[in-house]
Amino acid sequence: MRDLPPDDIALAGEYVLGTLPLNERQAAARRIAIDADFAREVARWEAHLDPLAAEVTPVSPPRRVWEGIETRAYGAPPARAASGLWRWLAGASAVSAVFLGAILWLGEPLMPAQGQMWVSDMVSDDGAVRLAALYNEKTGEMRVSMGGKAPAQGRDFELWLIAGEDPPVSLGVMPRRGQAAMPIPADLRDVIANATLAITEEPRGGAPEGVATGPLVAKAELRRI
Amino acid sequence: MSAQGEDLGALLARVALKERAAFSALYSAHGAKLFGICLRLLQDRTEAEDALQDVFVKIWMNADRYVPEVASPAAWLNTVARNLCIDRLRARKGGGVEAEVLEALPSLEPTPEAEAIRASEGRRIDDCMGKLEGVRAEAVRRAYVEGESYLELAERFEVPLNTMRSWLRRSLISLRECLGDA
Repeated sequence: MRDLPPDDIALAGEYVLGTLPLNERQAAARRIAIDADFAREVARWEAHLDPLAAEVTPVSPPRRVWEGIETRAYGAPPARAASGLWRWLAGASAVSAVFLGAILWLGEPLMPAQGQMWVSDMVSDDGAVRLAALYNEKTGEMRVSMGGKAPAQGRDFELWLIAGEDPPVSLGVMPRRGQAAMPIPADLRDVIANATLAITEEPRGGAPEGVATGPLVAKAELRRI
Repeated sequence: MSAQGEDLGALLARVALKERAAFSALYSAHGAKLFGICLRLLQDRTEAEDALQDVFVKIWMNADRYVPEVASPAAWLNTVARNLCIDRLRARKGGGVEAEVLEALPSLEPTPEAEAIRASEGRRIDDCMGKLEGVRAEAVRRAYVEGESYLELAERFEVPLNTMRSWLRRSLISLRECLGDA
């Protein structure tokens, strides 16, 4: 530890008082990060001057401030997100258990901001194969959850994106069980809204030519939630 | 340390472990003080509300940076709020340039002298401010509490900007000599 010259002691004091113009303030902040002696001097000033804040009268902030803090710190206000989710689930038809599982598996944030999430709940006609996909528009990530009957030996399920009249685009081979996270390529993010997801049964490792060859197992539109 | 000081310290330690109930209790205990500080500095209710949200999000993310030996819990919380509001204030008056806030708060190692600062808190500053010439102490107080810039202080005390700054820097050096090394 070294003694700081008076200029630096004054600079640290100015930083804590807050009088420095923006560029000098930013330079001092950078110095705090790399110069331990200067940082200690700033801490001394902070401790010495803090009693001056005693004259500031506390003012109760409005309720909305705390709600905003919760949303930002935790991802979403828990009570509201849950009630919104349950209301949506109650109104949605043919919600499979696997879809519920996928939503819960998503973890925090349970539901990011409104209008960022898309869901596709695919169930085969006989109900034996179920797949839920959740797409987060903000991160470009799709999370899928597999449930029900696994594909036959030597076969895999493959997920496809069908947008308008374009040929289906492969999003990848599904795990045989459990969940997977798959980033959606940037060029597909624009078309994913209102697209349909489908699963086909393909040879192990996926359709060899990038074109679906196997039978369609299930499909469902992506819907905004 | 006051009973409330101990409470805030315990709450901060639990917030560092991401305990939501403790975070909510910390907000109840000290949120009004920090809102008061933000209002006083920013002089704008909407902006103060917005800043207070930033302050508490920062506290939530950085509570583990708090070192009890270096600052009292209240002083640390007040410092987070003051730094953030002053960054906003200077950015606002500096022509809308986005303030480069320290994303991660620095965390200092406790040292014997740092503990001595803590122990001396609140006593020396009053004595030392009393030893400054009246207007100089007033300038220090206005800068700290009201967030006045050198320009505002220069206008208030009717001196040129550079004079104001060298005044205040000299006052700080005198204050620091009086406060001592601790």
